[in-house]
Amino acid sequence: MAEAERIKAFGEAAEREARDPVNQPTINNWVEAMGNTNPRWQGGEAPPSMAQVWTMYGLGGRPPADDPLHAMMKVLTDAGYTAVLGTNCEQTYERTLKVGEQVRVTTALDSVVGPKTTGMGVGYFVTSRNTWYVDAPDGQREVVARMLFRVLKFVPRVSTDGDSA
Amino acid sequence: MNVGDTIPEWSVAITPTLIVSTAIATRDFQDVHHDRDLAQGHGSKDIFMNILTSTGLVERFVTDWAGGDTDVRGIAIRLGAPAYPSDTLTFSGTVSAIEDGVAVIEVKGAVSLGDHVVGTVRVSA
Repeated sequence: MAEAERIKAFGEAAEREARDPVNQPTINNWVEAMGNTNPRWQGGEAPPSMAQVWTMYGLGGRPPADDPLHAMMKVLTDAGYTAVLGTNCEQTYERTLKVGEQVRVTTALDSVVGPKTTGMGVGYFVTSRNTWYVDAPDGQREVVARMLFRVLKFVPRVSTDGDSA
Repeated sequence: MNVGDTIPEWSVAITPTLIVSTAIATRDFQDVHHDRDLAQGHGSKDIFMNILTSTGLVERFVTDWAGGDTDVRGIAIRLGAPAYPSDTLTFSGTVSAIEDGVAVIEVKGAVSLGDHVVGTVRVSA
């Protein structure tokens, strides 16, 4: 798919800051909801799998125009592949984040594979890579976490009112 | 921790409260994780658990067993059957390898519809 090659060429793009620094109230909401009672998360560290939480868009946030995953999803939506389903999420953590740290994330389009016939319908597997950074005291940016994320973007086999609206 | 160690099964009751509170706590406001009418409008049976929560519960399952000081190096999961309210999510796991101070733990989280999540967690050993 030519559009995929064009968007892959964006490289590691759409760098953006977390809305808030790593903070205890947000950690508290997370550990309460998850039922995670590890005392370590009351001592200035954030749970590793929260890395992604800090840079979620939230209610008001929107992906920037140069976001490769957003751009690829739009291409496929416009081509009729309207439905989306997460299939793989692979996170690696270099270290835990500390309360007070300000996190940034970049997004790159890794691959677009398809069209494939799946149990859900015909679609494309879209794989993106996120990298989370913190600025080190020496001015260098430090990678703290990475994620490979794959979704199936597909034509639903049975259209519903909600999808066709 | 030794290769072949099995983590005792852990079952979580999937309630609407769990799905909604974890979705919001992970700052994921997609309607399918908190609004049943809209979720059904998208063709889903009900609201369902978001991926950040599946990952967070896998993390908890492993570290509750391995110990709170365990450093988690990575969580890789494949998503399968949705986790809907009124179902039960049951985790199981086995240590499959230990190399260079890192243990690989194979983890599965099953619901009534099948495997919700299958994957590996890498932790300091």
